[in-house]
Amino acid sequence: MEIWRITWFTVACAAAATALILPPGVVLAWLLARRKFPGRVLIETFVSLPLVMPPVATGLILLMLLSRRGTLGGVLERLGIEVVFTWKAVVLAMAIMGLPLLVRTARAGFEQVNARYERVAATLGASPARIFLTISLPLAWPSVLAGAVLAFARALGEFGATIMVAGSIPGATRTLSVAIYGYAETGQDAMALELLLVSVAIALAALWTANRLVERSAA
Amino acid sequence: MIDLDIEVAQGSFLLIAKVRLDARAAALFGPSGAGKTTILDAIAGLRTPRRGSIAVNGRVLYASDGGVNLPPHHRHVGYVPQDVALFPHMGVRANLLYGRHPGVSADLDRVVRMLEIDGLLDRRVTDLSGGERQRVALGRALMSGPSLLLLDEPLAAVDVPLRRRILPYLQRVRDELTVPIVYVSHDREEVDELADVVVNVDAGRVVSVDQVRGS
Amino acid sequence: MIYRVLALGLAVLWPAVQGAPADERITVSAAVSLTDAMAEAAEAYSRTGHGVRFNFGASNVLARQIVSGAPVDVFVSADEVQMDVVAAAGLLKAGSRVPLLRNQLAIAVPGDRPRTFRSVREIADPAFKRIAIGDPAAVPAGVYAKAYLQKEGLWPAIEARIVPTGSVRAALAAVESGAADAAIVYRTDIRVSPKATVAWTVSASDGPRIVYPGAVIGTTKAAGEAQRFLDFLRSSVAIRIFERFGFTPYQ
Repeated sequence: MEIWRITWFTVACAAAATALILPPGVVLAWLLARRKFPGRVLIETFVSLPLVMPPVATGLILLMLLSRRGTLGGVLERLGIEVVFTWKAVVLAMAIMGLPLLVRTARAGFEQVNARYERVAATLGASPARIFLTISLPLAWPSVLAGAVLAFARALGEFGATIMVAGSIPGATRTLSVAIYGYAETGQDAMALELLLVSVAIALAALWTANRLVERSAA
Repeated sequence: MIDLDIEVAQGSFLLIAKVRLDARAAALFGPSGAGKTTILDAIAGLRTPRRGSIAVNGRVLYASDGGVNLPPHHRHVGYVPQDVALFPHMGVRANLLYGRHPGVSADLDRVVRMLEIDGLLDRRVTDLSGGERQRVALGRALMSGPSLLLLDEPLAAVDVPLRRRILPYLQRVRDELTVPIVYVSHDREEVDELADVVVNVDAGRVVSVDQVRGS
Repeated sequence: MIYRVLALGLAVLWPAVQGAPADERITVSAAVSLTDAMAEAAEAYSRTGHGVRFNFGASNVLARQIVSGAPVDVFVSADEVQMDVVAAAGLLKAGSRVPLLRNQLAIAVPGDRPRTFRSVREIADPAFKRIAIGDPAAVPAGVYAKAYLQKEGLWPAIEARIVPTGSVRAALAAVESGAADAAIVYRTDIRVSPKATVAWTVSASDGPRIVYPGAVIGTTKAAGEAQRFLDFLRSSVAIRIFERFGFTPYQ
């Protein structure tokens, strides 16, 4: 019973995290692919940081920002919003770790769209927003989808940042990865293995579904 | 009527063009690399000159002095690039209608009949032959109700027998619609058949402007 | 399409959201090695009508969370050092810090090659080519292990054969899998391991003072509740539970 609860919770958070980063991530990927703007290199670097930093470090930064003593955390507390040690922190950690994967994959997709199509669309009277929605996005859709799947898979397996900012609270913030760690640490290898198998099964299912979707949209 | 006075720099290449065109069809003629496509891109707003001004029928599209630089989607210029570039993820009808918005009076039936593409409306872009693609692209540009039509080597990618078949459509557009055409070509014969005015371009400079036939 | 995905995400997330009602329970950060014992203690506690929410983790991670301002009411650490870290940040409620439990070090060997030492000096036997301990730079159990070996004058002889691991559980796993020939872990760890046996238990008088302290965190919003739980952990009911899991109460 507990296994299904933990699984359900993890998948739900990963899905929410992916849905959260999808709109801004895709727009950002397009901007980075097609537009030059001041601060572009800075933004590129920031977005990629979670990829190269140890996840625990990312988690620590989040914790410092969002806890009661942190800059953001203080504001949130006055608004009555709690993030640290709640499912919101889990979703946030997953989102931040998945964002660079989404942006980089989607951006490569946009860069592969022939710029000619976008230029002709402009001469036909389409504003940049319309070009993005009717030309760039549809043509780059397989890459966008692949990026979303990567981000989802990353979210499912996320551990280091999550455990730092969301803790390991049974029933409230314990994800599959965190639970596996807990069971392994207390010598309950049988449980750990069971959860591990569930993890792998979900990851396989997600990747399989995604590949079918990508194949179908590329056709 | 097109008023052009521009300097466009790209790397070590510099194009200087100062010319006034008042014809139904004007050809930009010259060897490759002369700068012909650069002129088209500048008029369409896809390339920004270093300085100068561009006006179509008195409407200023670009003026470095006045700080005017209309983005392409505000210039009302129909552009058919050399590789045609029909949107592959849309069907023929969607391509044709892409440029249409309220206020544009282009009539789909008329354009479709003129270019003889009625049978193609429900086809996918990938199913079309080279000649059919050219005509659909032409139709798409016309359907956006442009005040100027720019064609980049409209017959270059097409073999000779097909060329003979598409030329009449271009002539029809020239004769039946009031939209002036500016097109790039390096084929003398094509120029002779279509153009009223020929602008000879070479090595980034306008060498001469010849009146071929009275308009 | 995008709205369908969003709606799906929301629908899928809703049960998880609903599953966490406005929580009146106190949050207790406890060392992960105490997971099972604490869970049972909390169950006994709940029969008095009060609930507890646990956050388990490595003591150094827990301390870092508290120092960064995480909303914790009680902290039970696997060693004094991490509790000191929180104390140094001025975050302990004055007078609430108490030693709760004691543990002992033990030397574990693979279950298929059992041995019983007559003296701890047998660890210097060249047959033990790889000896796993928690990293002495970061893991409390490793700090204790090194201090003990140094006190017994054995450290120089076996230092070259030491394999530092990321956690004491990993050290035990090394022995279970045969990757290490021996490991120095907690007595409570070997109890639950089917593939390792005890070669030597370090007596409480010989070994380092391994104390699990508990304290109320100063920023708590439920000081009364927190103190009540901490007091419960020292009650005879709780002590019996911990003893069953191999810990010794602090006397």
